[in-house]
Amino acid sequence: MVKAVVGDETQLKLAEDRLSQSAVYSQVGLVIGKLNSRLDRGFVFDLIPTPVNDGGEPPCSVAESFRDDKKKGSKGKATADSSILVIDKDWVAEHARQVSRMLMGGVKVIGIYIWVTDSLFKNSTISLCQTVKGVAEAASFMEADLDERLLIHISYSPRRWTCRNCMLTANITSSSLRTCDFKMGRVLSSLQTFRCMYNFDLRLPICHENASNARTLGNVLQHGISAHAKELDDAKAMVDGTLVAEDEPCTSDGLHEVELLLPFIKDASAQGCNRKDVGGVLVFHGSVCSFAYLNSKEPISQAVADIKGDIITSLRSRLDIVCDETDGDSTLDVGIEATNVMSNVPTPHLNLQELRKTCSLSFPRRVFVPWLAGTYICDYIQPSETLEVVKEHCVELMSIEAPTDASMILQPEREAAPLVSIGSFWDVAVFSHSASSSDFPSANNNKINADRKEISKKSIKKADFNTIAALLALLLSILVGSLLYFNGS
Amino acid sequence: MDNPVKEKTSIRVLCRNIVLIKNEVGLQWLIGSPFFPAVTIVSTFRCLHTLPSKVLSPNYLQEAEDLRTLLLRGFCLIGALIAEKNPRLEENARDAIDASIRMRKLLYGDGGELGCQNLIGAVADSDSGKVCFYVSRSEDSTSIETFTSVFYDDQPEKYVWENGCLLRCELGFKLPFCFPVNHSTDPKEIFKCATESIIAKFKDSQVVYMVEILKRTQTPEKGSRPVIFRCSDLDFHRNLSKVELLSDKFGGSDAKSLTCSYFCSESKPVSSYNFVETADIIEVSLLLNRSGKPQTATAPTAEYFPALEEARVSVLEFKLDVLCYAAKDLPLKYAVSSLIIPGLIDQLTSMKKAVLPHLLVQHPQLCPYHFSPPGVLHPITVIYELRYGETEMKQVEVRRSLHIRLGLPLNRPLLRTVNALKFSTLENDRSSLIRKGSPLLKDVHIGLPSSGVSGGLVSLVQGSYEYYHYLQDGFDDSGWGCAYRSLQTIISWFRLQHYTSIDVPSHREIQHSLVEIGDKDPSFIGSREWIGAIELSFVLDKLLGVNCKVINVRSGAELPEKCRELALHFENQGTPIMIGGGVLAYTLLGVDYDEASGDCAFLILDPHYTGSDDLKKIINGGWCSWKKAVDSKGKTFFLNDKFYNLLLPQRPSMV
Repeated sequence: MVKAVVGDETQLKLAEDRLSQSAVYSQVGLVIGKLNSRLDRGFVFDLIPTPVNDGGEPPCSVAESFRDDKKKGSKGKATADSSILVIDKDWVAEHARQVSRMLMGGVKVIGIYIWVTDSLFKNSTISLCQTVKGVAEAASFMEADLDERLLIHISYSPRRWTCRNCMLTANITSSSLRTCDFKMGRVLSSLQTFRCMYNFDLRLPICHENASNARTLGNVLQHGISAHAKELDDAKAMVDGTLVAEDEPCTSDGLHEVELLLPFIKDASAQGCNRKDVGGVLVFHGSVCSFAYLNSKEPISQAVADIKGDIITSLRSRLDIVCDETDGDSTLDVGIEATNVMSNVPTPHLNLQELRKTCSLSFPRRVFVPWLAGTYICDYIQPSETLEVVKEHCVELMSIEAPTDASMILQPEREAAPLVSIGSFWDVAVFSHSASSSDFPSANNNKINADRKEISKKSIKKADFNTIAALLALLLSILVGSLLYFNGS
Repeated sequence: MDNPVKEKTSIRVLCRNIVLIKNEVGLQWLIGSPFFPAVTIVSTFRCLHTLPSKVLSPNYLQEAEDLRTLLLRGFCLIGALIAEKNPRLEENARDAIDASIRMRKLLYGDGGELGCQNLIGAVADSDSGKVCFYVSRSEDSTSIETFTSVFYDDQPEKYVWENGCLLRCELGFKLPFCFPVNHSTDPKEIFKCATESIIAKFKDSQVVYMVEILKRTQTPEKGSRPVIFRCSDLDFHRNLSKVELLSDKFGGSDAKSLTCSYFCSESKPVSSYNFVETADIIEVSLLLNRSGKPQTATAPTAEYFPALEEARVSVLEFKLDVLCYAAKDLPLKYAVSSLIIPGLIDQLTSMKKAVLPHLLVQHPQLCPYHFSPPGVLHPITVIYELRYGETEMKQVEVRRSLHIRLGLPLNRPLLRTVNALKFSTLENDRSSLIRKGSPLLKDVHIGLPSSGVSGGLVSLVQGSYEYYHYLQDGFDDSGWGCAYRSLQTIISWFRLQHYTSIDVPSHREIQHSLVEIGDKDPSFIGSREWIGAIELSFVLDKLLGVNCKVINVRSGAELPEKCRELALHFENQGTPIMIGGGVLAYTLLGVDYDEASGDCAFLILDPHYTGSDDLKKIINGGWCSWKKAVDSKGKTFFLNDKFYNLLLPQRPSMV
């Protein structure tokens, strides 16, 4: 359980000034930072206010409008006692969900802050706890053991910061709150930066199982990522060329390069398919650029764990983005697509067991925007989008101005380049997994390559024949159909 | 590497004596090591596969296949020995050298990854057993020289293990591969490609080798940190014989030039037994570096490739386990590139060959084991097929021929899976758990004072047994269970010698099996009836298939006369003997017999002991001690007015 929390003095001072100058009666927002359950410590990097919702309403308000009475001393206090805080919990949770996508490497939404009077806070603890819970669910941590979040209360008269730790139990009561030791200090300026460029290449065979069990592209990828997360868990790591041992502190400064060492071929994805017929292979490959920020009190192994978590989170976020997008599309297009249902199914929802043609789904690329004290936050850009989207997100979600100079934004990942046009099933199925992304598609082993070509040639011939046969059948049925029609008329 | 041949023509033979069977005609491969001076023979392997009707013409391909699996990397073929009646010395030596040249080409390739070496041709007279050694200085047999002196090492274990260590690499992986159902492309070809791609991956730029010391205990030792080698650090073209050995332990500050001794403990005494258990073992693991250069990064893509013809997946599971020997002064990176990686490739290749014929039916379950059989100076590796039981004829045949090849006795199971070397801490833990269940004393006679027979020849039980006695496991058998306890001790011997894997039976189970064979009525089960030597022989036959010899004497006074026969039993069979008869039952563990004077003593393990399993108490109480037929006070141990039956279990002739 987190007992001591340190807030970054520079950022929190700024936040406090912002709040006191804004003259708002109440404000709710997200607490960004790191929680370390092994050290029982929390580190607060920044506070981000939740923006107004789609209806233009602020996310939190006081139930009765006594705002004018704010300055009227004793009377104001009396009315405030009877009023309660109304929080748009779903909206705050949605904000947390979207912000958490932009955070990386151990930096997370670790709770909420609230700017209200003491009495209002006391009246609304249950509601606040529920908001914390909603935020925790929307921006969940990968580590299941961390079942707590922070609730920071900034009261304006008198000006005071209190930090409570909220246990995420099934039914939250005010007893779930415990006050922690809170102080301001150097947090952001003492962070160590770790970077990893992770390459992966998963080959997921699609078996012919019971046809009723439809497996969409999205489902298969979801499973594939979860399976890969387990594999990544076992990985060892080198930082700046030396193997990481447990519980060692990070002694040197500067940017640290992390290299992940995975067990040699421990690919369990094909396991369930042994001696089964396969309908095809789903190749999921590419790179994830990842950062992690380590507090000087944390051991180096924490940075490695954060990097591993970040890689999986990034893959999941991107899959969510791709799926969300197409969800939106399909609801919009309902009226239009009635004519040709099959071809308009968005790619992530294609049932792979029925699909007889190649298809590809490009994931958005990750870009990095400068944030506080030399750290970065990330965002994702779809092939159709530009950096403008990133700037919008920064303003809307993180309430920061994105740099006007585009060169400040790091873009280490190139746009995904589908390989569908180059290969065929036999090209990718001969290696059910590959170590080098370089041996695909231009394998350096000539013999194997030659063999593969032969195989693919054969399959291509077969495919041609199949399409011709299908076309003939179609033509025939049209002819027969029209004959019958004309006969009937 | 120094080459003493140039200075003096002397050969060093490390194996105690070259295993020769009288009148045996045949060829043996001589094994050396690239880390030893060129003319040092470590062991010999008998050539088993020969051309039909020609004992001296090996079937090279088959032999190479076998030796490749058997021989650890770090040892190599350095010559051959021909044993013949009335040998023509030089001619036979040339034949032997020619044979070894051909064999080396098959094993190590044309260029010879081990480089040119002096090859030894040895000729033995199968009648007299006399061996002559010749050496060829070049890679042909045209000019050979004889050795003037042969040096047999007294402490060969010391020689091998003081300067060397073991490296081990365990690698399990699953290899899925797809093939068209209609076999339009041969699945075997696809499978071959798949294994070749794995072999290529051993040297792939993404592969990283992690080298660390094998942890033998659960508690983390404060030891040397693991060392990482990237494939780009490794040199795959360097000839092992050209690698410079570095005596400097740390080879400078660079981790890349560390030698094996970095992981080896300082000056550990080398005991002649269990050398592998004390030897330093370095563990090597293969990892894939998944981190790349930032320049090559592209965002993830998912692409679906449907199979346009019916395709099927087959997943093959491989378990590679390679053990290598290296001089402690060998730089670690060469140990990886010249020993571990070729070892992995060899093992995968031979497994691939074994799997190919059964590719689409039931896959064989191949598993490598390492053994260190007594008398063989170095460990060996054997790949067993686990689909069949160990006692299956096919497996027995495999073990038999291995015993012959290594010159091991054919009536001792030395190469069963239970005999295999255990490395991982988990395996050790498991065996200690079992031991916790039966905290029985083993081999209580070891360390006893001598019997007092002057000039006697001691013949003892061979191998370990557990001491069973009255009241053990809270079971009250005082007064009737001594023969049962003696039987339990005998069965424990068979268990510990790996002739059987059955548990030592309880009293009830012993009674049950006697009822089952019809020797006793069902009411016998649960009774407190005595059993004798004859019943013991029935049970041994029923449970273990062991035959027994019985010696009857009408009086205890006749027992000393049987001493010569008993001594012979301990020499040849080495099993514990049960003494039964008119009165008490004992277990006999050995005799001390002076043929000249007829003086003798019997090493008696007494099952009538009722105390706790405390070795001191047992020894001081004389529950395991030498008993003279007539002691110094004139008392006789065996009663003159009682008869005795001696049950001599015969060692099964099995491997």
